Amino acid sequence: MSWRMSWTQFALLTVMVTVACPAHADSAGGVHLPAFECATLANGTQLLLMEKHDTPLISLSVAVRGGALGDPAGKDGTAALFAELTQKGAGTRSAAQFADAVETAGGQLGASAGDESVGLKASFMARDADLMIGLVADALLRPRFAPEEFAKVRTLAAQSIAAAKDSDPRALIGEYGDAWLFHGHPYGRPVEGSERTLAAITLDDVKRYYAEHVGGDRLIIAVVGDFKAPEMRRKLEVAFGGWRKAAAPVPSASAPVRVQGRRVLLVDKPGATQAYFWLGNVGANRTDPTRTAQSVVNTLFGGRFTSMLNTELRIKSGLTYGANSGFDRRTQPGSFSISSYTRTEKTTEAIDLALATLDRARSEGFDDQALASARTYLLGQFPTTLETNGHLAGRLIDLAFYGLGPEDVDQYATRVRAVDATAARRVLATAFPASADLAVVLIGDAAKIRDAAKRIGPVTEMKITDPQFYPEAPK
Amino acid sequence: MTHTLLRDTGLLPRLACVAAALIASCGAPALAAADSLPGAEQIVTRTLPNGLKIVIWPDSDIPNVAMYTWYRAGSRNERPGITGISHFFEHMMFKGTSTRPEGEFDRVMEANGGSNNANTRADVTVYEDWFPNTVTELIFDLESDRMRNLNLDPKAVESERNVVYSERRSSIDNDNFGTLMEQVQATAYLAHPYEIPTLGWPSDIEGWKVQDLKDYYQKYYAPNNAVMFIVGDVKPEEVFGLADKYLAGLKAQPAPEPVTTREPPQLGERRIRVVREAQTPLIAMAWHAGAAPDRETRVMEVLLAILGSGDSSRLHQRLVEQEQAAVEVGTYLHQGFDPGLAWIFAVVPPGGSTARTESLIDAEIARIAKEGPTPGELTKSRNQALAGFWRGLETISGKAEALGEYEVFHGDYRKLFDAPAVYESITAEEVRQAAATVLRPDNRTVGVLEPKPAAAPAEKGSKGGAR
Repeated sequence: MSWRMSWTQFALLTVMVTVACPAHADSAGGVHLPAFECATLANGTQLLLMEKHDTPLISLSVAVRGGALGDPAGKDGTAALFAELTQKGAGTRSAAQFADAVETAGGQLGASAGDESVGLKASFMARDADLMIGLVADALLRPRFAPEEFAKVRTLAAQSIAAAKDSDPRALIGEYGDAWLFHGHPYGRPVEGSERTLAAITLDDVKRYYAEHVGGDRLIIAVVGDFKAPEMRRKLEVAFGGWRKAAAPVPSASAPVRVQGRRVLLVDKPGATQAYFWLGNVGANRTDPTRTAQSVVNTLFGGRFTSMLNTELRIKSGLTYGANSGFDRRTQPGSFSISSYTRTEKTTEAIDLALATLDRARSEGFDDQALASARTYLLGQFPTTLETNGHLAGRLIDLAFYGLGPEDVDQYATRVRAVDATAARRVLATAFPASADLAVVLIGDAAKIRDAAKRIGPVTEMKITDPQFYPEAPK
Repeated sequence: MTHTLLRDTGLLPRLACVAAALIASCGAPALAAADSLPGAEQIVTRTLPNGLKIVIWPDSDIPNVAMYTWYRAGSRNERPGITGISHFFEHMMFKGTSTRPEGEFDRVMEANGGSNNANTRADVTVYEDWFPNTVTELIFDLESDRMRNLNLDPKAVESERNVVYSERRSSIDNDNFGTLMEQVQATAYLAHPYEIPTLGWPSDIEGWKVQDLKDYYQKYYAPNNAVMFIVGDVKPEEVFGLADKYLAGLKAQPAPEPVTTREPPQLGERRIRVVREAQTPLIAMAWHAGAAPDRETRVMEVLLAILGSGDSSRLHQRLVEQEQAAVEVGTYLHQGFDPGLAWIFAVVPPGGSTARTESLIDAEIARIAKEGPTPGELTKSRNQALAGFWRGLETISGKAEALGEYEVFHGDYRKLFDAPAVYESITAEEVRQAAATVLRPDNRTVGVLEPKPAAAPAEKGSKGGAR
């Protein structure tokens, strides 16, 4: 067998295409993405390798293009169940043996689905690189798909949603928000599925998903940490270079359409003593040329402690513990949303204040002093987002996935410094919604906040125990 | 106070981090080979004449600094009537001084590229600043100002009272796990102030007086009751110069009266039942264990890891994978100045029997109390601790937190680097004995959260039934 292995290894080496990484641009005094190596294997797998030797650790991150966009109709959560099943028996190991192998090494390995990719993340001691790469390759190339494991994973997924509904509503409100805002568009489908859609998924669905939407041509692998790049590259070539391609074309989503006017979803959680609210519309995508201006403006509007939203709803009025806003950026524009919560009897006051704050930001814009504060804040905090192996591996995946080069990091400071009042006003008009055009979700005790909900706009009501995130009649 | 604006998108609460009222810290690092830690030899300390100790760990990986100020004051120092005041006081530390109006602290820090947060625990209150190394002096100015000149404006007190109440509603009242843990903790202690929820009981949140806050400031926010940790791209001599300039003038205060109450031995199992709107029943068990620096606490860490850390752990394999008697299981160990609680939690499937889940947990405890861990399990827990240690030290924040844990709870930050030897020395017999002597029924409180009958439709095909 050793002869065969070395021959395979040699064959892969000879057909691998090495691609020079995009050149680094001037960092203009800001943070510079450390040097890394790029390669594309013959099957299309992209490798990104960055040595970092300050701890004896390695982070390995994987993205498989497709994600929940590949879920069959009515079977939301298929990609998520696939991701979970990669951890439940692969190669020569049963589910229990697989978990034991990872954890005995002190390693961490997890898989999850996103809207547009399935991701695996691993962190391990450098000494365990061979073991952990082998486990990641087993998970992706040789999942066992045992029927009994599938049944457990599917049941646990539905039960976990029920448990989350018993917990702090802050964790789930975005799920309802996306469902309500993007209904009819793929971004409105819950990545983890709902109790209802999970029940419709079969093991054959997962196997079909695997054949169609998982393969070497969809794969991006980033490794950062304590290793030698040439050696790591060889290991990855051996592990992944011979993998088949996915059978189907990469699924994609069209640009979602913005909400005109308001519509309100009231989710009844009996006994709740606070009302949790989410106000959203279609925002901007990951590669939007004005994304940096959007970030600077969002910092001032709802992206840090002294933001307008937190100042109004928390610092000045004491209505809430926290109010914030943010962009969910994907290949197409995801949501821009505002979220907060307040005690039940203050629901109208808090939502009105959030809406008025949005109006004020859009009508008044931000002056130079405010913009200077936001620019300095973003630049001051930016290095802490690229501090660990995991941060850097995640960033390399992000850049490769969206086709961005190192300049996204290297010229960040330049872009931030260029955001002036004119640029701010422009993105306020284009990327931030008018308060008249919003998808609104309210979670709380419906009997007590129904009237407050009706004041905002036309209301549709559902129960938090309903087995989906969108108000539709059971089939 | 959480200044963090990150939104949690996870579907499940992270069990170990679920209730702010209980959290000493999540994912506390453990143990590694001291001599292989790059830069550790550059750690320097100085104690100012007023008693404020400063620990500096230079690290130029990024051009930033983490400054953590630990006060030895938390909900353990409270009494009925002022429960939650440590946490409330933490909020008030951001609300203005005699030289800077309300909001100025955060406005100035953020405008200069810094961010901050703070957390209050049963034992300590920790203030955290993260900033570019070019503004270190400004941060010293801001911190020294609120240590010296805090202005407790009655109007700001009333507004912030509502903010804290909102925090409580989110973390405790509208979160079933938060609710259950608070009730179990309050039941587990008869005498010791660890019974007090860190966020405070609602009637005390409504009742705190400005004078209570002034007394608290005077007593606990003294330089001799604090330790400051500065990790990042700094030159120690410059930082000590700033400390002399900004902090040396703070006046030392008489040491706060020590907490002397000791929890009497528990004489038998205590059980509580909590009824809430719910689909998933919950179980929380808590045993009286050791204090942070005790060897028995290191052993308990190992025991709980073997029982409940990761998918390969005994409880996960038995309850979640083999028996489908739990959606999730987890463990948590409170490590403080005084003997804390060791916890095991389980989320029971909708319609499932809590009695069955509980009996399976009992069976796993009995098994390890009889047979002890396997050699493979001991190896696994050591490797997890080693890797976790390194992960904890990947960031300047992680280093500041680890130094704080060891300096404040273990008495000397250098013990962080002695830990590997302690850890390696733990034997299978010690782990077995911990299970037999600590995790016994008479030493525990069991809390069960059950759905209100009307709101608990039994799911099709699930075993058991609604009670």
